[in-house]
Amino acid sequence: MSDTMNETHVALGGDTTISCTVNGQAVSVEVPVRTSLSDMLRSALELTGTHLGCEHGVCGACTIVLDGAAVRSCLMLAVQADGTEIRTIEGLATDGTWHPIQQAMHDHHGFQCAFCSPGFMMTAVAMLEDDPNRTEAEIREELGGNLCRCTGYESIIDGVLGAIAEMRDGDGGVA
Amino acid sequence: MKAPPFAYARPTTLDSALELLAGNDDAKVLAGGQSLLPVMNLRLGAPALLVDISRIPMLDRIVVDDDGAVTIGALVTHAAVEASPEIASHQPIVAAAAPHIGHRAIRNRGTCVGSIAHADPAAEMPAVCLATDAMMIATSTRGDRAIPAADFFTGFLETDLADDELLAAVRFPASPVGARGTVVEVARRHGDYALAGLACRLVFDGDTITDAALAYFGVGPHAQRVAPAEAALVGTSGDDDALDEAVRLVAATLDPPADVHGSANYRRHLAGVLCRRAVTELRSETGEAR
Amino acid sequence: MSPDGNQGSGLGAFTGTSVKRVEDHRLLVGEGRYVADVVPDGCLHAAFVRSPFPHARITGIDTADAKRLPGVVTVVTGAEIEALTNPILPFLALPGLYTPLYHCLSSERVRFVGDPVAIVVASSRAIAEDAVELVDVTYEPLPGIGTLDAALDTASEPIWPKAKGNLLYDHTNDHGDVDAVFADADHVFTETFRCPRQSNQPMETRGILVEFSADGEITVRAATQAPHMLRWQLAAYARKESAAQAVKAFATNTERRTAFVDAAKSFFAERGEALQASDNTAMQTQMKTDPRTALQMMRTGAQLLGRDDYPHVTADDIGGGFGAKGSVAREEIAVAAVAFALGRSVSWIEDRMENLMDGGQAREEEMTLSIACDADGTIRGLDVDLVLDQGAYPGNPIGAPITVRIMEVMQPGAYRFEAFRQRSRIVTTNKGKYVAYRGPWANETWARERMVNVVARRLGISQTEIRRKNMYGDEDFPATMLTGPSLDVTCSVRKTLERAEELADLPGLDALRADAAARGKRLGIGFASYHEAAPGPPDYWESVNPGTSALLDQPATASVDTDGKIKIWTSQMPHGQSHETTYAQLAADQLGVGIDDIELVYGHTSRAPFDLLGTGGSRGGPVGGGAVRKVGRGLRAAVVAKAADMLEANVDDISIVDGNIHVAGVPARGLGYADLAARVVADGETVEGKDGTYAFNVEDTYTSAGDGGWSVATHVCWVEVDIETGLVDIPRYLVVEDCGPIINPAIVDGQARGGVAQGIGAVLYERAAYDDDANLQASTYMDYLIPTATEVPRIEVEHMETLSPGENDHRGVGEGGMIGAPAAITNAIEDALDVTVNEQYLPPTRILELAGVIEPD
Ligand SMILES: Cc1cc2nc3c(=O)[nH]c(=O)nc-3n(C[C@H](O)[C@H](O)[C@H](O)COP(=O)(O)OP(=O)(O)OC[C@H]3O[C@@H](n4cnc5c(N)ncnc54)[C@H](O)[C@@H]3O)c2cc1C
Ligand code: FES
Ligand code: FES
Repeated sequence: MSDTMNETHVALGGDTTISCTVNGQAVSVEVPVRTSLSDMLRSALELTGTHLGCEHGVCGACTIVLDGAAVRSCLMLAVQADGTEIRTIEGLATDGTWHPIQQAMHDHHGFQCAFCSPGFMMTAVAMLEDDPNRTEAEIREELGGNLCRCTGYESIIDGVLGAIAEMRDGDGGVA
Repeated sequence: MKAPPFAYARPTTLDSALELLAGNDDAKVLAGGQSLLPVMNLRLGAPALLVDISRIPMLDRIVVDDDGAVTIGALVTHAAVEASPEIASHQPIVAAAAPHIGHRAIRNRGTCVGSIAHADPAAEMPAVCLATDAMMIATSTRGDRAIPAADFFTGFLETDLADDELLAAVRFPASPVGARGTVVEVARRHGDYALAGLACRLVFDGDTITDAALAYFGVGPHAQRVAPAEAALVGTSGDDDALDEAVRLVAATLDPPADVHGSANYRRHLAGVLCRRAVTELRSETGEAR
Repeated sequence: MSPDGNQGSGLGAFTGTSVKRVEDHRLLVGEGRYVADVVPDGCLHAAFVRSPFPHARITGIDTADAKRLPGVVTVVTGAEIEALTNPILPFLALPGLYTPLYHCLSSERVRFVGDPVAIVVASSRAIAEDAVELVDVTYEPLPGIGTLDAALDTASEPIWPKAKGNLLYDHTNDHGDVDAVFADADHVFTETFRCPRQSNQPMETRGILVEFSADGEITVRAATQAPHMLRWQLAAYARKESAAQAVKAFATNTERRTAFVDAAKSFFAERGEALQASDNTAMQTQMKTDPRTALQMMRTGAQLLGRDDYPHVTADDIGGGFGAKGSVAREEIAVAAVAFALGRSVSWIEDRMENLMDGGQAREEEMTLSIACDADGTIRGLDVDLVLDQGAYPGNPIGAPITVRIMEVMQPGAYRFEAFRQRSRIVTTNKGKYVAYRGPWANETWARERMVNVVARRLGISQTEIRRKNMYGDEDFPATMLTGPSLDVTCSVRKTLERAEELADLPGLDALRADAAARGKRLGIGFASYHEAAPGPPDYWESVNPGTSALLDQPATASVDTDGKIKIWTSQMPHGQSHETTYAQLAADQLGVGIDDIELVYGHTSRAPFDLLGTGGSRGGPVGGGAVRKVGRGLRAAVVAKAADMLEANVDDISIVDGNIHVAGVPARGLGYADLAARVVADGETVEGKDGTYAFNVEDTYTSAGDGGWSVATHVCWVEVDIETGLVDIPRYLVVEDCGPIINPAIVDGQARGGVAQGIGAVLYERAAYDDDANLQASTYMDYLIPTATEVPRIEVEHMETLSPGENDHRGVGEGGMIGAPAAITNAIEDALDVTVNEQYLPPTRILELAGVIEPD
């Protein structure tokens, strides 16, 4: 955090410095105060895998995992993320090995244009980390805040079910 | 769209937050941001100063009194309400409302108190406050005050809060013995704001309803109770005749708006259907009183 | 073998299997490159000042405050941009049609909520938006035309003053003796069907980046389904040369002039007769209504033809389009014009509000259908009166005119009858522009399949029986639709219906109804069948728009570079359809290599073969794929010939397996593509291709007039209606489709399901709502409701794979889901409620009104 615990952090316009952890790396960037977290990720950090479909909280394309929970990065200011731990789609694979959700989406033809895919996968990751035992109805409900215009959702749901099976039966990572 | 420019302050004490609110015209509290930031991103609002209360200690607490009263602090998220075993056991109607609110990612950031302060006409929490006679705990440099829910919601996105006041918490008093509550609603899509919704709490003595609260949302400029219909239920068992009368009074009392999602007649009809569904559900409920 | 386990060898190993997507390797890890992802150093950002009024005169515009804001580089108004741009011209003419000419920004009058009146360019999008709020525009409101009735009222204020009213096209065609058939039939049933405005709503909004490289070279990057179309339009409209300059440039550029004259000569030689027969009146109304058209066309044409150094357009990944990105946006022209003038990189990424206002809307049609039939259910004749609301500005280039033509040609469906009349009218209103949306003509299917059910109900026969009775079957082929196109075995609609009936378990229906009733719900079932021209027989497009078939041709190139790498070049512009996978499957099978050995080249107009339309119209599989197979065959022949030469064998004995080119039976002595390429180099036989030197390079064009066939389906939808709340649930949905042999089943399923989801949206959730005065009421995703994973059920997709007699068997599937679904769903709702359903959009309020539970407000 850039401010100490008992000091009011004030930014009267102009730029402000944000320090946080993104995909395991400590970063510190300077952005205009009004910058949304999504714009900070996309512009200042050049992590363009997080997408913007509406910027008013409905489509879910911008969903990231912040301190372990799925959040809309378009409905957070960058400055609110000061001191947090963020994960984006770029951080899902480790050393070139896909996360089970990525592999399962690939195996099930999860996406078409894939513009919605970062939001779906990050939402799914947070959901499965919270509780991997999910029924199809629960998955549909949890992913109900993400819009996809291409697929009709079935392939995405199958991808999540596939990831669950893989995480349960397999050893997690898949080449 | 991008938000218009603003100044930002992130106080780490309640006092400095209150001073910032008192000392600045056009300052706004930023809690979860799930209503304020969409409004700003759409350039429908342009506050000069945002006072981010997220780093103020103690506001993230859920406090349960011995009698079962629950106080929810300004930073408690919808997700935390949903997950709280205390709320589920002492104020089940509050817990029942939480899963209806938006989607997971919204609930992870949005706060229960923020939703009350924002007072969207279709939001669940204001109606739950009305149904439970909750108290709003407001604070400012001028002092604290407790505002009964019945006096709090004054218009479309309008409350009794003054510009310099912060809503520190909402306090749900202990449920009366024999109380049962539920939240029912109909939305276009799962997770949308309701077309019409009802937070219903009935107090039973044996089979007889001794107190009734029907608090509607989505059918007027703000959440509202329907006293005539409540009166029609009291003293009955919530039987079909009493229900018919209550439903008739609901329709006669409410004057809901029409919009792209539903006509006024539809919402009026739905209000009756929800009344029937809620009362039917509660009257057949046995076991632990709520 | 690929890392996906996609293994194959020899011909036909990949085609027909659910090969995993090649695209995923970048898209699933966040490394896709969409237009918003590219921001060059120093890039400026644009935002638009837009009209808050449906219809108004602009009486003043003051940009001084906006220009003073730090960070603002320029503000250009509608009046000012006329010095930089040419007006946008009609693309396809129809006899009797008037298409207004208009600029990329409006200057005197605004015609819909969102009409752009000025562009702001600033150092960031946020600052540009700040400046937008500082531009002071004075409007004098005019009456807003928000309904078809208002538009048809001859006394209404003309939105385009050169037109007499707001009716821009009115044309009737008779096919057969309609009056006689109607007089002779036992019954005539008539209903009017209304479909409100919908919107394509790809998850990625529109966007364009005009990029200046350090040495001043310009590249335009855009979210476009048709890069070549955008390039030409920017060349034509986003710059303005004086007429004299333009003509001089054309006159002195001998090469261009000769090429043009030659092209024109061959065009007229091939198609002159057809053109003369049908089209010589096409432009008359246009020229009479707006004589400037001719001058502007000549001047813009000269400007376009005088030079060939206009900027290239490129696109990498695109987040869906559904037709909307096949349009060239006025905004794109404005951004390009201003960037060209500034000489600096400018990016415009549309926001969702803009997209809902001006990103494309569709399908607002009202259709009155009369069916003449006999008492036994034999359909004798059909009479259709169609009114289409094209909104304020014409679609560019594809919009209402071509849609009404396709609607008419396809309106009879796969039904046998004697006579058909269609009156088609296009009106203009103060709404966002009408664009092609996945199966743009789909309301012909919706209205017809609704009407067939109405007739069945009135006559007391089942919805499947009436279809079976009147549909063409194999015994009827070859046949000809009343509107012209020929039908062959690929029009297997009746077979899909029969298969659907089997799968639907109709005997079990009563039990389902009883079960639903026990839960307080009403169950209904709806069938709908259609055939679509994907690509259609050779005479299809000639029936729609004579003389313009060449527009649909698809070129492709297959090449092997000097290192032995194989490239396939397509004019298709993928935006979710997985071309990189399916075309690799086709080519890999032709060339005996693995999926990963094929690189698909597309997008950049300097490299992608020329084709104005890009991706759209379900042509990716049949026509684009046909082109790939054609050049793949050509390349294989060239490779085999060279290998036969090297291996001293007969070409017929050469076989290619896993990239090993060998004499059959002796794989150990085989050659790789690299060996072959090296030999070609050594022998000095390399050839020049588009962007380099190649060992082999085969270019060819697949003409859609060559062969083709129909893509068909029957949809069955089950609904459960909650009669208390009006909510509609879809417990089961079945698609039985026949698009010929499938390239990749998982991808076909995805296309079908995605289309059905949009159909579900159309009926139950989505409406680009305007009030009667044309004020927009759905400008956010809180009001425009796209169905989510909790609303869209699992969708069963059953495949039938009828072979076509033609050369290319793969037929299109991009649009079908959306074409069939609205009819199946509304038919099911009608069945559940037992009332006639006349609207396509049935939100809970309307459901309860139809059920008689509530009164309209
Ligand atoms: C897609 C979407 C769907 C949603 N669906 C629903 C739904 O179905 N039901 C529902 O109820 N809500 C819904 N919401 C809104 C959500 O519940 C918000 O969380 C809530 O309305 C506001 O809480 P917040 O903490 O985010 O407040 P903020 O957005 O931070 O603030 C909202 C307003 O309240 C004021 N405010 C907040 N906290 C205080 C305080 N402690 N004291 C004084 N003023 C304060 C702010 O100044 C601001 O004016 C939805 C939101 C989105 C984006
Ligand atoms: S961009 Fe954040 S929810 Fe749509
Ligand atoms: S795959 Fe295109 S929006 Fe989901």
